[in-house]
Amino acid sequence: MDERLEKALDFSNYMVTLNNQKRLLAEQFDQDIIYYTRGGQFTVTQELISFCHTLFASDQTVAVLIDDNNIPIEIESLEHFLSEINSIYFEASNKYLNEYSKLKKNRSVEGIIG
Amino acid sequence: MDKGVLTFARNNSQVDYIKQAVFLAKRVRKYLDLPTTIATDSIDYLATAYPDYEDIFDQVIELDWTNTHSLKRFYDGSISEKRLEFKNDSRCLAYDISPYDETILLDTDYIISDDTFKHCFLQELDLLLYKDAYDLANFRDYSEFEYVSDTSVDFYWATCVFFRKTKTNKIFFDLIKHIQENWSYYNAVYQINSVTYRNDHAFSVAIHIMNGYQSGNFAGYMPGKLYYTTDRDILLDLQDKRFTFLVEKQHHLGEYLAIKFENYSVHVMNKFSLERIINV
Repeated sequence: MDERLEKALDFSNYMVTLNNQKRLLAEQFDQDIIYYTRGGQFTVTQELISFCHTLFASDQTVAVLIDDNNIPIEIESLEHFLSEINSIYFEASNKYLNEYSKLKKNRSVEGIIG
Repeated sequence: MDKGVLTFARNNSQVDYIKQAVFLAKRVRKYLDLPTTIATDSIDYLATAYPDYEDIFDQVIELDWTNTHSLKRFYDGSISEKRLEFKNDSRCLAYDISPYDETILLDTDYIISDDTFKHCFLQELDLLLYKDAYDLANFRDYSEFEYVSDTSVDFYWATCVFFRKTKTNKIFFDLIKHIQENWSYYNAVYQINSVTYRNDHAFSVAIHIMNGYQSGNFAGYMPGKLYYTTDRDILLDLQDKRFTFLVEKQHHLGEYLAIKFENYSVHVMNKFSLERIINV
């Protein structure tokens, strides 16, 4: 095989592998930000955090939130809920950043998968 | 309330479902801290191959040995395949034989790697299944897992099912038995057009009927997401919660891409590569 083509194909294989792993890291992040409480399942989004902050700032201490499956869940302590979802989001996003940074540094398929 | 996992393991000439079930039970204990009951037609083999089986399984339920005329193509990667017996007609008995008040019914090839299923027991719905799933290869046509067929009803996965023993769930599982016994009729009415009986299809049809012949919320959704690789992919390595797969390459038959995935459970459909990897 022409050496130029061989090098291009090696690089192409590396790029596909890299992009696949980036996709899977994003997928794992989506799972890491799920918070389960009181029988409900909440995906912790920036929107959910902001909404809870707004409720809490307007002196609400309890709230009914609609979970991922459209089931209403009574949150008895909004302060505790907010603290938990903040932790989950920051822990997950930091993990995502660390894994992403490690991934970016690898320059070979073996490095990415190893 | 008694809680536990139930799995069915009926070997054919080449696939050792019992070996997979042993592996499953050990991981269920490790990650979910739950007991596992095995339903099998090969108790003698289980006792011979795994003399410590009574420590591994909470209970062993004997199923009658039957030969089946149902054949299925089992792939081992994208270019190797075998047509083998497919003994999948016992799952409708799950409600009747489960020793637990709250049961998680799992396929033997589901590799538990997290504790997400613990949340099943803390929520209020009595029946949960996955409706959506995520193919780790990410390029394949997903349509067969959205609807039972192009002109049919919503698809639900029977791979992981949570159920409580309630009167309604008894009706549901009895309905699945009825659908199974009259499979050619339901296969035609629901335009499934599949020669092979599939539990996913029977469960999907039963949910549709229980919903009043329409989409609805009779069944809730299992927590988290169902990740899977098909039998066209190869499980290359498994270290605790870290999977390395070779997934088939789009448009390049027989070529693969390496991927790693960790921390979440995966349904590994390539039984041959799973058996090469697991060490029990």
